[in-house]
Amino acid sequence: MSHFPTHPDLRFLTRRQFFSRCALGLGGIALASLLKDQSAYGATSGAALNPMAVKPTHFPAKAKNIIYLFMAGGPSQLELFDYKPRLNELNGQPIPQSFIEGKRFAFMDSSHGTKLLGTRRQFKRHGQSGAWVSEMFPHTATIVDDVSFVKSCATDLFNHAPAKLFMNTGSGQFGRPSMGSWVTYGIGSESDNLPGFVVLQSGPRGPRGGSVNWASGFLPTTYQGVPLRGSGDPILNIASPPGITARRQRDSIDAIRDLNLARLVETGDAEISTRIAAYEMAYRMQSSAPELIDLSGESEATLALYGVEKHKPSFARNCLLARRLVERGVRFVQLYHTNWDSHGGPGENLEGDFEKVCREVDQGQAALVKDLKARGLLKDTLVIWGGEFGRTPMGENRDTTGRNHHIDAFTMWFAGGGVKAGAIIGETDELGFNAVEDRAHVHDLHATILHLLGLDHKKLTFRFQGRDFRLTDVHGELVTKLLA
Amino acid sequence: MHRCVETFLPLCLVIPVASAAPVDYLGEVKPVFADHCYRCHGVSQQKGGLRMDTTASALRGGDSGPAFVSGKSADSLLIQVLKGTHDDISRMPYKKPPLPDAQIELIARWIDEGAKAPADEAPQSEKHWAFVAPVRAPLPEVQLTDWPRNPIDRFILARLEKENLKPSTEADRVTLIRRASLDLTGLPPTPAEVDAFVNDQRADAYERLIEHLLASPHYGERWGRHWLDVARYADSHGYSIDAPRNIWKYRDWVIDALNRDLPYDQFVIEQLAGDLLPNATQEQKIATGFHRNTQINQEGGIDPEQFRIESVLDRVNTTGTAFLGLTVACAQCHDHKFDPVSQREYYELFAFFNNQDEPNLELGSPEELAKRDAYRARTQDIEAELKQYADSIAPKQSDWEKSLTEERRAKLQEEARTALLLLPEQRNEEQRKVAFTAFRDQDEGYKNLQRKLDRFKKDEPRVTTTMVLQERTRPRESHVFIKGDFTRKGDLVTPGTLKVLPPFAAKENPTRLDLARWIVDPQNPLVARVAVNRIWQQYFGRGLVETENDFGTQGIPPTHPELLDWLACEFVAPSLPESSTAATAEPWSMKRLHRLIVTSATYRQASRVRQDLVSVDAHNRLLARQSRLRLDAEIVRDVGLGASGLLNATIGGPSVFPPQPEGVMTLGQSRRPWIPNEDEGRFRRGMYTFFWRATPHPALMVFDAPDSFSACTRRPRSNTPLQALTLLNDQAFVEFAQALAMRILKTPATSDHDRVEQAFRWCVARNPSPPERERLLELLNQEKAAFAQAPAEAQAMLPGRKDPSLDTTQLAAWTTVSRVLLNLDETITRE
Repeated sequence: MSHFPTHPDLRFLTRRQFFSRCALGLGGIALASLLKDQSAYGATSGAALNPMAVKPTHFPAKAKNIIYLFMAGGPSQLELFDYKPRLNELNGQPIPQSFIEGKRFAFMDSSHGTKLLGTRRQFKRHGQSGAWVSEMFPHTATIVDDVSFVKSCATDLFNHAPAKLFMNTGSGQFGRPSMGSWVTYGIGSESDNLPGFVVLQSGPRGPRGGSVNWASGFLPTTYQGVPLRGSGDPILNIASPPGITARRQRDSIDAIRDLNLARLVETGDAEISTRIAAYEMAYRMQSSAPELIDLSGESEATLALYGVEKHKPSFARNCLLARRLVERGVRFVQLYHTNWDSHGGPGENLEGDFEKVCREVDQGQAALVKDLKARGLLKDTLVIWGGEFGRTPMGENRDTTGRNHHIDAFTMWFAGGGVKAGAIIGETDELGFNAVEDRAHVHDLHATILHLLGLDHKKLTFRFQGRDFRLTDVHGELVTKLLA
Repeated sequence: MHRCVETFLPLCLVIPVASAAPVDYLGEVKPVFADHCYRCHGVSQQKGGLRMDTTASALRGGDSGPAFVSGKSADSLLIQVLKGTHDDISRMPYKKPPLPDAQIELIARWIDEGAKAPADEAPQSEKHWAFVAPVRAPLPEVQLTDWPRNPIDRFILARLEKENLKPSTEADRVTLIRRASLDLTGLPPTPAEVDAFVNDQRADAYERLIEHLLASPHYGERWGRHWLDVARYADSHGYSIDAPRNIWKYRDWVIDALNRDLPYDQFVIEQLAGDLLPNATQEQKIATGFHRNTQINQEGGIDPEQFRIESVLDRVNTTGTAFLGLTVACAQCHDHKFDPVSQREYYELFAFFNNQDEPNLELGSPEELAKRDAYRARTQDIEAELKQYADSIAPKQSDWEKSLTEERRAKLQEEARTALLLLPEQRNEEQRKVAFTAFRDQDEGYKNLQRKLDRFKKDEPRVTTTMVLQERTRPRESHVFIKGDFTRKGDLVTPGTLKVLPPFAAKENPTRLDLARWIVDPQNPLVARVAVNRIWQQYFGRGLVETENDFGTQGIPPTHPELLDWLACEFVAPSLPESSTAATAEPWSMKRLHRLIVTSATYRQASRVRQDLVSVDAHNRLLARQSRLRLDAEIVRDVGLGASGLLNATIGGPSVFPPQPEGVMTLGQSRRPWIPNEDEGRFRRGMYTFFWRATPHPALMVFDAPDSFSACTRRPRSNTPLQALTLLNDQAFVEFAQALAMRILKTPATSDHDRVEQAFRWCVARNPSPPERERLLELLNQEKAAFAQAPAEAQAMLPGRKDPSLDTTQLAAWTTVSRVLLNLDETITRE
């Protein structure tokens, strides 16, 4: 007894015949459209074949892309943006008990200090907005009128790895999708030859927690961040093995495709068409990724603006790559730079080490905003700058006096993509300890970021283990003052 | 932090326009109550002491009095809270959108009309199916009587016939042996095995094949890996530091337990509480590694208690997921929103897991231990020598003190400076010690000896250890954590189980062992169902309960409830005679369950997509065919190893380091080395690849291996360009292609035609169709010509270990063909 339709006898003397036979035999499987244009395999063939296909937003979007400059380790807002003359006056005084009662801190048992620490950095107001920026960020001081500062950011967790996860996934627990995964899951990506969510890293070490910061959690792995590496091949396994020329790779992929098509006809399994599309995308990535990192087409003026040395990995180079990525339609680009963990110990003091890390990011981040603006990309691109938390107004005594992790108030800034230009949002108390105005919790920031992309954070859900999960868990209020 | 997401129920009732007809309680009012009130005021919860599931109970009311006053809607609490006008009680439904005015009006009208309801209105009592013990339903009657091979098929066929569908024909023998081999052992069959099976004329050839596969030690590897997903097994501590750990002995215990078919109830007991069994063996202690697979945070500045508690919470959550199929984690912060699990019960479970120490168990052989102890004795000798030397230089201390310059004094620790400012006789005991230490530590002879000791200690021979649980003698107190926050302690709790499940035999100070025995009590309605469902899903790609980790009220009900229950009953208390060799049918035998499933006609169907099914059962829930399933990450590797002949089939032992792309390890916070094995460890099965939680091997992750942070009960099956890049370009897979090419050329064959067929069979077991064979030959010949033109390219393609007997052009061309074969969708798919 036979329950199946009969398939045509495959005799493919030429590839053309083979294709037409396959298409004939497919019945319900929509391979015909796939085959209409051989270059259109995959991305342009719709969501069934490409999980990264562009999907509609919940409402019109203000931003199309995101570049998130993640300052790993927790930069000191008190040395950069949150100017507190009163703290300087009280330098060396114990912090009033009322501030710290019932609070928990990292390193509570050992070196946690209770004496206030004024900053030794000079602050000035800049631009039309009059935003305070310290001498540490001379370049950044020139873009303040394109930027909105949120000085009242707050988070829940005070250890690096959980706090980073919290900032990226809305949860301190492992296994939740990161923001970039949620976004590409929600609205796909416009690039059909690069991954939709790309991660770049610079600094002396990787960010704490590593790849879980850009993991897709319970979302399909398609949506996880793909790290672009600073040197060597930009994507793992992007280069063909020795002896496999581009021609040979193409011929091999053609043979794989023909045999996969034969199996598709035989089995009727649509997964095979997805796999054929995936191989085509992989092939395109093999040429587009090297092209992406090839900076030879960038003008001397551009390289000088960023302060990039062509072949040297740096934060500045990553900023330039970020611009090139959004130009190519990549949806979510995240840059990590370490090390902002200014406890005061060796390699992380608030003196030379802090000056060094400031120098490493200042020019590049300012150049990125300027360059995006000059190219008309800033209006569609949301630039986010911030760490997983800030630093305490109290000093911490290690080899030198530094600052501990602080979750109650820290500064982040946003530019482009539907945020106000030149706004200063939120305020902290006279010591910079608590947010006293417009407190913006991580969940609120997440809700706002999704909103700018045209996504309702309450509607962007994924059902897992019997529950509908969201980036914002059960929280999140829009930071409306940030919206243009 | 770990909260359930509130779902907002759509308001889908159509509200009739006000009319003269009296309100129909059962048709119009009760459904509103059911949708919006019962969750908190019904059978599972009675918030504020109120139940709304019968009019009588609503009238009886709760802590705030009756819900309504018959005939007086305006005075009724219910209407006030629905409108949000009550002074003390929040608007209802709590934290949900308000009911539409029309619905409130309708309820008010019903109250004003006297709140009429049937006198015999029964309270909501229906217990969720999964909380009722399974019963063995009679086997259903079917029309196609010659199709079923065992009871499974009766259930499947009966359902198909209800939908007027016919099952698929049996898959061909080649497909069957590849399917069964991959499912039961994770390794592809060799062409010889395929031929033997295809030519086996005996009536029970298939059953014999299955017996052979179940007896293979690779069965324990294949099914052990599935269990290790649940156990969140990894070789490192996780979090940011992610230091390596030794717990592979637990992994090997799992493999061995499955191979000797340890009954599932015992399998569970030993893992949860092997240490508490009377006269616990070393193996039983190793089994408790199950709950040591939690992460350990070694980051500086953490509160250790916080992360100890994180581990305990994970143990509770994993226990719920792994054995009960319940999302108990939802009750960490509040009573479960949907299932009858209170927050208090959560912490009563927590109390079982709050009383352990977390030691390493030493597993050395007597020789290893003796060698290590001898070494330690020598360490002690050097320590004595050091002490002796220190004593010998003591008289020189006062001279040294006198010779101290200000500059040198300033370099000393503060305590030493203070002590040295005093005269020797003024110093207290502590200061005398500090002063002597400062003196001793600057003595060159002492420093040299100290260095020698440090070096010696570092080289102490390592003894294998594994991480285990061990009950504390003095139990910790356990509390409810208010809103799940461990810094906010609520009521004190004692160990206890979930009330919705069969009672826990009352006992003073119950332990994990009591909990484990309660979990596998045959009365427990969940444990067997969850286990058989999880095994079933590996064979069909989807469980009978699709939400394999949620058997609660929010889970998807089973597609074949009677079959699920029949399998659960059969698992616990076998009724069918054992097939071939074993005389008695063992309860809880996993091998027996596997045998039952894979010998069914349902399992043996062809997987071809049928046009008549596409519209009625696109996702193949009714199982009128088998499904093609992309192989698990480790098996993708294993198939490549098998096809290329490189496989090292050693079972167990420390994890290994096959090649991985450069730069993977730099992604973690701590840059750990990855030095690829150059020995036979390079070609071990995928499940032995060392698993760093922070920087897992990319070839595993790209094919959806779990991250091992928490229990994984089902892997997704993604299909991405990064998978293509891995199979095409990753060094490990390139090595497989090179080895396969060498294997092809070294195997006697008369023609390329034969060689292509042979290689094809190594990869997918079947023979190529003529067009497939021709396409590969076309590529081969094209490549031979190309490499003849470009010998340098051919050289570049070949591995370091060259075989001078093989022609470079030939080998390079065959490597291209091999690479194509290893990249085929079919190669990495079970059909």
